[in-house]
Amino acid sequence: MNRKLLSSLAIASALTLGACAGGGTSDAGGSSDSGESAGPRTLLVWVDTVREPACKSYQESVAADIAVTCEVVGQEEILPKILLSNQAGQGWPDVVFSPPNSVSIYAEAGNGYALNLDEYVDSAIIDAYNTSNDWCLIDGSYYCLKNDLAQTVLWYDTVIFDELGLTVPTTMEEFADTAMMLEGTDYVAGAIGDQGFYAGYLWPSGCPVADVQDATTVRINPDAPECTRVFELMQPLVDAGVVDSRSAFDAGFITEVAQQQKVAMNIGPSWWGEFVIRPADSWAIPEGRMAAAEMPKWDGESTAWSGEWGGGIWVVSSHAENLQDAADAGVYLATDPDMREDKVTFPGYQPAFEKWAARLGVDTYYASDPTVAMVAQASRIRQDNNPVRYDMRGQIGVLQTEINSGATLEDSTRTFMQTLIELAPSVGYTVID
Amino acid sequence: MLRHRSKLMGQINGFLMFLPYLILLVMFAVVPIILAASVSIETSLTNPSGGFGNYLFVLQDFRFLPAVINVSLFLLIYLPTMLIVVAGLSLLLDTIKARHSVPLRLAYLVPAGITGSVAILVWYFMLEPTYSPFAPLFAEFGLTQGTDIFNSGNLIYIFALMTFFTGAGNWIVIQYGSLQSIPDDLLEAAKLDGANAWQVAIRIKLPLIRKYLIYMLVLVMAAGLQIFVEPYLISSSVYPGLAKDWSLNQLSYTLAFLGSNLGAATALSLMLLVVMVILALLVIFRTDFFDEAKEKIKES
Repeated sequence: MNRKLLSSLAIASALTLGACAGGGTSDAGGSSDSGESAGPRTLLVWVDTVREPACKSYQESVAADIAVTCEVVGQEEILPKILLSNQAGQGWPDVVFSPPNSVSIYAEAGNGYALNLDEYVDSAIIDAYNTSNDWCLIDGSYYCLKNDLAQTVLWYDTVIFDELGLTVPTTMEEFADTAMMLEGTDYVAGAIGDQGFYAGYLWPSGCPVADVQDATTVRINPDAPECTRVFELMQPLVDAGVVDSRSAFDAGFITEVAQQQKVAMNIGPSWWGEFVIRPADSWAIPEGRMAAAEMPKWDGESTAWSGEWGGGIWVVSSHAENLQDAADAGVYLATDPDMREDKVTFPGYQPAFEKWAARLGVDTYYASDPTVAMVAQASRIRQDNNPVRYDMRGQIGVLQTEINSGATLEDSTRTFMQTLIELAPSVGYTVID
Repeated sequence: MLRHRSKLMGQINGFLMFLPYLILLVMFAVVPIILAASVSIETSLTNPSGGFGNYLFVLQDFRFLPAVINVSLFLLIYLPTMLIVVAGLSLLLDTIKARHSVPLRLAYLVPAGITGSVAILVWYFMLEPTYSPFAPLFAEFGLTQGTDIFNSGNLIYIFALMTFFTGAGNWIVIQYGSLQSIPDDLLEAAKLDGANAWQVAIRIKLPLIRKYLIYMLVLVMAAGLQIFVEPYLISSSVYPGLAKDWSLNQLSYTLAFLGSNLGAATALSLMLLVVMVILALLVIFRTDFFDEAKEKIKES
């Protein structure tokens, strides 16, 4: 009896384990055979869950001519799967929504996944982006279309500012002074223990973290004054406890600080308003408090630069059977105004963001129209941080881990940038100071 | 003549029984290994002149040594814990088998049903002070923030905890099974000679299941050496980058799928394979695990 039970338990556990193990692996090849089918026109599109409705909408709009398949693929898996497809020589999606940095990998000749869009996308589309699509410009050609801009702005709580009689800082020195006025009040000038430190401080200051000079040269230098001035300005704020070294997404920070309405201001990307600040399961800041201001200017700069945190892109496959179909799908998915109106992200394509801004601009949740600052910052994304072929997204995690562990901002940044200096040569870059 | 013929039949039967495994072995182990070996010595950006440059590249990679240290320290904690707890609990289970063993066995197995990504989520909620039911206990030790617990210094313990709870239950039940193979008369004789329960467990049962424990140790070590899911998920979800390239398998994954360097990734995987094969050979030739089989073969 016991043995019977034992064996059935053993089998049950083996099945459970097997099922779990099976669930953990995913079919890397996907179901694409679009490259070879000779029948009706087909397109395979890989999207994340947020972009799936846009894909479905495109699917319906062209259903008479093209059979569009929308597959949801996690953002982390896209690069691995495309590299696998390259290895297998098949299985590529025709259009993919991708993390922004990957475009440099896809555009490189040895990879060859990304289609050079110059011949397939009307220049009027690119022109309407204004400068917002410059991220996709590699060696003079466009290899992707920006879905959205994640330009940083200064988010601030008007109620706290009124209570303490603070004025919105316009320079980083003023930002630091304002932050120091919060000392002893329980309020903070934001959290910096995550990608926000790179996107909101290092990048706008011009710290050369991923400053691509040409296809084989990148400038990475933690000793540059544009980096050291960030450490010098920000470290005292961390030491004084007026800037939190946790992540803005840290569970403790959210419950103890953000949800208690203790964030007086925080430099953060444009999508924070609808995605981080407002939702009840996130910061849950009540209506009528938050506003967005233009970025504070670094000393000696003529422009109040932004960095970017996110800002997805659409890449079209050079392996698509019908390149024009694929490129047209990419254009629709990247630019259709109706598809972007109710999304949290700031559309990169100007006609689309006008419609988006018209909706958000009258939203009474915000103390004032946040889109004014966003539009101002949209054309001020500092251009000396570029897509690179090394794993920038992953290494930013190193920066976060270091800051969270209590290391100084300088040490954290140096550790982070040292890993980039080590990585860059392995993907064919020469690193210069 | 007849004897010779039956020997031949035996060999044919043996081969036929081995054949399905052989086919799978060739398809999913031998061929991939050969492919990997050929990819690892192909010319590439990091291996411009071909040959063994990729192996050197991996050994010199700045992430390689930390990963070796991480995995080694992890194994140092994980393996003895597994061995002691699994042996102890299965002996205990065997001793009290009469009354409570069925619900107990079930209790040991339940955590093993929560594996992979689910286990990581469960442990995240157990260890994150903001959500954890043990938060007051953590607070006693001054652990009030997620980063007090989830930081680089604690990762080894966190991963050992996760892998222990997902793996130990299965092994306890398996070792309980191996304890069932001990003949009752042997145990009875020990009792007649005046051995108490403790002495029976330590002096009789433990030596008799020793080789099963060694077998477990080797399998657990192979799994531990390849640890991937726990650090990968922690650093790709809740704490981005916290355990990035923490283990050797993660580094291999990063090289292949984020660094576009399949050559270096295969080189690293093959180096891990060599370590694993050495371990397997040690079990076969340096322990008595297969002795009985060998003796039987000799007899025939």
